[in-house]
Amino acid sequence: MVQYSYFPGCNLKTNAKGFEETAIAVSKKLNSELVEIPNWNCCGTVHTMTTDNLMKRIAPVRVLARSKNHLEDLKDTSNHVVTLCSMCNSTLKIVNEEVKENPDDLETINFQLEEDNETYSIDMEVKHFLEVLRDSIGFEQIRSNVVKPLEGLKVSPYYGCMLLHPEKAKIDDIEMPTVLEDLMESLGAEAIFSPLFKYCCGSYHIVDQEDIVAGQVEKIVEAARVRGANALAVACPLCAYNIDQQQKVIDEKTGRKDSLPVFYFSQLMALAFGESLEINHFEDHEIDPRILLEELKLL
Amino acid sequence: MSYEYIKFGQEEKDFIEKIQEISGQNIYSCYQCGKCSAGCAFSNKMDKTVNQLIHFIQMGQKEKVLKANTHWICASCLTCTIRCPREIDVAALMEAVREYILREEPEKMKIADIPKDVLNKLPNIALVGSFRKKTG
Ligand code: SF4
Ligand code: SF4
Repeated sequence: MVQYSYFPGCNLKTNAKGFEETAIAVSKKLNSELVEIPNWNCCGTVHTMTTDNLMKRIAPVRVLARSKNHLEDLKDTSNHVVTLCSMCNSTLKIVNEEVKENPDDLETINFQLEEDNETYSIDMEVKHFLEVLRDSIGFEQIRSNVVKPLEGLKVSPYYGCMLLHPEKAKIDDIEMPTVLEDLMESLGAEAIFSPLFKYCCGSYHIVDQEDIVAGQVEKIVEAARVRGANALAVACPLCAYNIDQQQKVIDEKTGRKDSLPVFYFSQLMALAFGESLEINHFEDHEIDPRILLEELKLL
Repeated sequence: MSYEYIKFGQEEKDFIEKIQEISGQNIYSCYQCGKCSAGCAFSNKMDKTVNQLIHFIQMGQKEKVLKANTHWICASCLTCTIRCPREIDVAALMEAVREYILREEPEKMKIADIPKDVLNKLPNIALVGSFRKKTG
């Protein structure tokens, strides 16, 4: 069994438990176990785009330093730190590249980390779990673990921004990604292309400018629906929350009943691999995916 | 056609300098093609489009820049950054304007005003993300 140093990030322990538990379960089945970094901290979520604010870069660099230390406890491992949340993935990847380009900044950050007897020396590589699935495990092996092909599921992959932006953090082609499509097809689902596959959901504006998010979500979901999708697949707990929760708000306002359930890609893997249903935590979803799954006889 | 005369003195130059320093971008690389605004998913909510804001920065028009809502509507999706033909990190310019303001007035968003049930319900990444973008 290969082991990966795994950085959950905050949401995987709160709103997105179904994302984490299903990802860990399928990782074991694929002989590539995600093992959580002990004593990890929040990466800061959004990367600072300023040139002069090193304070905001300390948290993600500390994550990389702790992941590096974690490798000693793992078997058959590489220098990869694996993330599930696409915002963590982007933040960690960018900071990792930045400290490579600016050794002086790293020295200043390390000066802070040394207070806790930690240092970072640019030796980790940040990978999103989707990259591990595609590049290290491969879709063939995924396909061979499918016991319940997701027939009838017409799922539109929604990448959101942070899996593909910026250049330093992209996990696939920026304008024409295929990793989620390939994964969905290897699970027996039909992948439905939507031109709004990375049209921003409004992100953190949900806190104080909900109307912005509502407008985005309406367009994102409609674009998938008119192309025949009956579900969405995502990799970001914030995209998931915004799209799921705002559809509920729209439903309540308009009486619509054709909302699309939002799945984490790992939940669909767990379903297809025949894992137990509880680990999906579907009870946390506003638009209950079990209704569609029952209709399609996939439960 | 009407013309507007603008002042372009030390104060204007200092403003440009500061935005360039925070963002690490050369504001004059922008040739005003408008691609950033065309691809921005939030242009319809902005009172000045992204390239208009950049034009104001090029001209040192601090008051007009700070009055616009552009940088507060921006959700840092980075679409403009990856598409700019002049390879300008456009989103970093939006961030620089936010930072310029927050370094003087750190509370664009008052955390204490957010109702408790909203705080409890929202995902951590939404909260941490918005606090990082809207407080100094
Ligand atoms: S895309 Fe780049 S060059 Fe074109 S207007 Fe925007 S910032 Fe200027
Ligand atoms: S980063 Fe901001 S300005 Fe640029 S496209 Fe996204 S929302 Fe618009």
